[in-house]
Amino acid sequence: MRPEQQGVDVAVLVSVGRHPITGRARRADQDARGLELALGLERQLPGSRVRLLHAGPRGEESESALRGYLGMAAGAGTGLDTLTLLEQAEGSDAIPALAQHLAAAPPQLVITGTRAERGEGSGLLPYALAERLGWPLVNGLAAVEKVENGVATVLQALPRGQRRRLEVRLPAIVSVDGAAPAARQSAFGPARRAELEATPVAAEPDQELAQWQMAPARKRPKRLKIVKAASARDRFKAAAAKAEGGSGQVLEGVSAEQGAEAILKLLEAEGVLR
Amino acid sequence: MLETLLPILIFAALALAVVGAWRRIRLWRQGRPAEVDLLRGLAAMPRRYLVDLHHVVGRDKVMSNTHVATAGGFVAAAVLMILVHGLGLANPVLGGLLLAASATMFVGSLFVAKRRRNPPARLSRGPWMRLPKSLMAFSLSVFLITLPTVGVLPQDAGSWVLALILSAVLVWGLGEMVFGMTWGGPMKHAFAGALHLAFHRRPERFGGGRSTGLMALNLDDSGAKLGVETPSDFTWNQLLGFDACVQCGRCEAVCPAFAAGQPLNPKKLIQDMVVGLAGGSDAAYAGSPYPGKPVGEHHGSPHGPIVAREGKALVDAETLWSCTTCRACVEECPMMIEHVDAIVDMRRFLTLEHGNTPNKGAEVLDNLIATDNPGGFDPGSRLHWAADLNLPLMADVKQADVLLWLGDGAFDMRNQRTLRALVKVLRAAEVEFAVLGVEERDSGDVARRLGDEATFQSLARRNIATLAKYRFQRIVTCDPHSFHVLGNEYGELGGVYEVRHHSTYIAELFEAGRLHFAPWKGGSVTYHDPCYLGRYNGEYEAPRNVLKALGIQVAEMERSGFRSRCCGGGGGAPITDIPGERRIPDMRMNDVKQTGAELVAVGCPQCTAMLEGVVDATAEVRDIAELVADALVARPAAAAVDAAANKTTAEEVT
Amino acid sequence: MSEIRRRDPRREWIARNRLHPEHAAVLAELEGGAISEWLGPNGVIRKNPRAIGFIGPNGVKRIDRSGAQQGGQATGAARQEAQDSRRNVIIEDPAFLVTVVPELSGGRLSGHDKDLLGLARQLADADADRPGAVLAVVFGEHKEEGFGEAGIDRLLHINGDAYVGFAPEARLAALCAVERELAPRHWLLPDSPLGGADLGRRLALRLNERPATGVWQIEADGAAPLGWRCTARGAAESLDIQRPLPRVALALAECAEPVDETRHAAEPLSLSEAIPSALSRIEDLGQVAVDPAGVALAEAEFIVSGGNGVKDWDGFHRAAKVLGATEGASRVAVDDGFMARDRQVGATGTWVTARVYLAVGISGAIQHLQGIQSCDKVVTINLDPGCDMIKRADLAVIGDSAEILAALVAKVEQQRGGQRDAA
Repeated sequence: MRPEQQGVDVAVLVSVGRHPITGRARRADQDARGLELALGLERQLPGSRVRLLHAGPRGEESESALRGYLGMAAGAGTGLDTLTLLEQAEGSDAIPALAQHLAAAPPQLVITGTRAERGEGSGLLPYALAERLGWPLVNGLAAVEKVENGVATVLQALPRGQRRRLEVRLPAIVSVDGAAPAARQSAFGPARRAELEATPVAAEPDQELAQWQMAPARKRPKRLKIVKAASARDRFKAAAAKAEGGSGQVLEGVSAEQGAEAILKLLEAEGVLR
Repeated sequence: MLETLLPILIFAALALAVVGAWRRIRLWRQGRPAEVDLLRGLAAMPRRYLVDLHHVVGRDKVMSNTHVATAGGFVAAAVLMILVHGLGLANPVLGGLLLAASATMFVGSLFVAKRRRNPPARLSRGPWMRLPKSLMAFSLSVFLITLPTVGVLPQDAGSWVLALILSAVLVWGLGEMVFGMTWGGPMKHAFAGALHLAFHRRPERFGGGRSTGLMALNLDDSGAKLGVETPSDFTWNQLLGFDACVQCGRCEAVCPAFAAGQPLNPKKLIQDMVVGLAGGSDAAYAGSPYPGKPVGEHHGSPHGPIVAREGKALVDAETLWSCTTCRACVEECPMMIEHVDAIVDMRRFLTLEHGNTPNKGAEVLDNLIATDNPGGFDPGSRLHWAADLNLPLMADVKQADVLLWLGDGAFDMRNQRTLRALVKVLRAAEVEFAVLGVEERDSGDVARRLGDEATFQSLARRNIATLAKYRFQRIVTCDPHSFHVLGNEYGELGGVYEVRHHSTYIAELFEAGRLHFAPWKGGSVTYHDPCYLGRYNGEYEAPRNVLKALGIQVAEMERSGFRSRCCGGGGGAPITDIPGERRIPDMRMNDVKQTGAELVAVGCPQCTAMLEGVVDATAEVRDIAELVADALVARPAAAAVDAAANKTTAEEVT
Repeated sequence: MSEIRRRDPRREWIARNRLHPEHAAVLAELEGGAISEWLGPNGVIRKNPRAIGFIGPNGVKRIDRSGAQQGGQATGAARQEAQDSRRNVIIEDPAFLVTVVPELSGGRLSGHDKDLLGLARQLADADADRPGAVLAVVFGEHKEEGFGEAGIDRLLHINGDAYVGFAPEARLAALCAVERELAPRHWLLPDSPLGGADLGRRLALRLNERPATGVWQIEADGAAPLGWRCTARGAAESLDIQRPLPRVALALAECAEPVDETRHAAEPLSLSEAIPSALSRIEDLGQVAVDPAGVALAEAEFIVSGGNGVKDWDGFHRAAKVLGATEGASRVAVDDGFMARDRQVGATGTWVTARVYLAVGISGAIQHLQGIQSCDKVVTINLDPGCDMIKRADLAVIGDSAEILAALVAKVEQQRGGQRDAA
């Protein structure tokens, strides 16, 4: 029997993010939340160890983004001052390299973001790793409640802030999205002093990806309200209908009852009342 | 008997003082090295003391005179005493002078005593309460023992008992005045203060100069610790400066955060630094505490952290984040201590090393890094508000007389009104101007005051590179924060510009006869001095001149000009948002209310936002540019009549 | 109004017979107003132009000459007819299968599911001579009745305790059984966080396929292996990737129009082999109760926000609780200590994206209005009819906020009580 609550060995997979407005490299939001989760775990379970792992090319921009993660460990007493960089050429498939690295020294818990902010961003990576390593995977993680006897009790985020409690056997891969706790500030000093331990790995170029056509996202057409009109009158009405919006309705001099009724009607029409 | 006892007493006290001085100097030397011209500083010290320091002290005439009498009397008496009693130069002339000096000092000390009878809350008590008695003991005993020297009394007057009592009183006086000066008594301020004036970190402040820009942090050494973590991380002359504090509490009286009940008191902060410098607890502190924080729970050491990551150390982080960097404390400090520099130094550590900028701080800094503006707006939309104004872009025209710096107010709907008004004014005056448009970035003001020197320098360097591409005579901006940073803080990074605040520039345009205003028809108006325009840059007159030109008689608030009360919007304070009992802008609008003004003119987007955010305000908030734009007329009536007359004559001719 | 139309042949006859003495009365009744046309005493048709038309919703008179107005009562029947216009389609012997795994949120096909089924129909019906069938795989209990209308030809309903809640492993095993037995040509899943996004990726990797994720458009392309090309969103919605459509595709909402012209058989289907039970390493312990007040403002869908005008804060909190809304506040309410700082909405607080934003006693400072820019519907309760919030609001009620909130709470509680009784 192992002691009940003991530290866990956590690997956080991090990627180079992309700011949604300016497109600048940054720490990816979901990955940073993943690291925040790991750092929280470390606080909760003394003796835990957190490592950072990234597979990709090394460049000035990506390096400063990766250092953003290291800046989060400022003084957390974690010894998180290095990031293992599996150095690969641009456009290589990161999955085999990561799987190989994780298999060589398996952690108990692997935390990743749900989707990358650059490249294909298909969100397949955690699944591919789970499939290769044969580990269970839980997506949309919001919190790790406890780790006992090789079983982690976790909360999974459901829409509208709801949560579901799951038990998952370790080792496992978990992915986090926007519902996980927000990442702490990244401090400049520790980020600058931390080290990137680069290990060149065999790169398998992602040939399929190279054949696809990539273009900046077009604005998706707004779906039109198609009215199936039986008569010319209905078609005319649909076409001439005033667009929604404009100035709103103002109810003045009505009783509280009437006002409440009008509000209730709108709330029901919007479907926000459960 | 006194003849033998006095020299021993005097020289023993002096020797002990020297030992104490050496010990004190060693404490200061724990700090980081600083480049100071020691000899020139020492040479300039008397003038700095007599002119610059007394210029500040002289704002309170009674206290100024009290200090002149007491301090002047003491210095003279001490020197003469060494000559007369120490070295035995029992010259009646010297003795007479000594009598006069000690008498003057005694009179001064009476005033000090009167002041201490019912001291205002801002004054520290504790050891300071005994100071008038010590002063009197010294002056009185020196006076009495000198009487025989002058021959007023016979040499052997009085019994040996009297002589012994007299020497006991003298020992008390000497102990406080000479020994205590270097061993940490209230008189420490004289010793540390004199050296502080000599080795001040901003020598430009003396002789009427102004030095308000924060000093750049060296980011080249990647291994170095950034900012100030422990008291010993301050430079030695900063530590010396803290030690010079007289605890007069003038800073406390003007601090907006203290008045709002936020946990900051500049005096206590400086005293905490002194506690940290020597090591120990703040239990001995005898002034007003940080609001809401009892004295005695914090302690520190020269090499221990000032702010603990968890729990308590010397100072709590929220104390440092309460500061609005309004510089009222620095302006008011008779010892010319640099509170704001110290606070920003400590903030730098919290942000750059701890990664602990409170509340929205982290988000704002991330936005600045990713989008070059604190709001996280698309940098490409910086000029959207002016889509219909057709502003000339620097990228197109390459050179212009005036570069109009918009600032981050360009993203704020309220400030866009001010900007539109300013553009209207510039066009009316036919100024040849251009804007950077999307090439402009945040000036870095907020990042720097939040302690993120790295982001500030990154923004500043990129802005400087952009500005270097174009030719212009001067930069005009309606944001005093940008004005200050561009004008006073970019220089150290290689960007030297002539920068004007829009009120200054409008005043110049009016002087030059390029603007004409309709007479003012509104109600009474008061003017709020923005800190970064007034105290930081000394511009108090131009905005008032503009208002005068508009025909407005300014109803001044009690706190205006260099004593203007901050709106609460500076130094990232609205971002870090430390709770207090009141809100700073509410207090300021109350000041406005007391003047009975219906309108308060401002010259800063931050002030506008803060003051407009006050609920149930009695006065409307308008930027000077808006007032000017509203009053614009094409040509004064008289000129128009002349022109019309000319026209008719011209018609007659044809 | 009843959908069943009752005819009265006598009245219809009178309406047609202009000479009938009751003609005018019957016509007025049928048209719901004064008659606009009659035969005058001299045999000339007289018209009353004022009686023509009807008053439109904005108080403006509208004249409709399409004849629909004459029909008066026919609208119910016309609606019936429109629904009946769906063609019944039965695909007996499909050339191939397009399998869809709907997310079935709340036990019903969601809008996303219906769009996906529309996409599935595009794939299935591309070649009219050799149509494919759309197979839907549905897990657990459901309340949906309109599978056929949504375009499903075959329905495989897999029920069992193992598939309830979060059971990706069991569901994956079932889908693999489907793959083995039916070998569908296409697999389509909704790319929604807890619907198909998870299951679809698991399935694709198990089938050793590289799925297309975030698909929002497909086009026929002869050169592609499956004859289709798709456009998918990548890199956090910032990239469009064009690639041949793979066997497994995860599509976004509005990827296609839902089916609305045909009705399909939704013929139940079952697997011949039993689904092998998978060893589960993930156990679902059920949903955790979450206080809506604790939901982060930026995430919240429905916010009730209080400002300076709120005097009865207990009533405000109660209203938020009953409505199940997340609480927000204006800067002033936060400054005055009525609400916590993390509840502040606005440019200096949190920028919110709620679907409905109910502002109570908030006058609408510019910073506040900036913070609610991206809210769909803004409702305000305010005393001052001239404030800026009312200009922004879609619905503004002028009055005492405490009273109106209390009335609203009473109504909602009454309604809930009623529902409970009915159920």
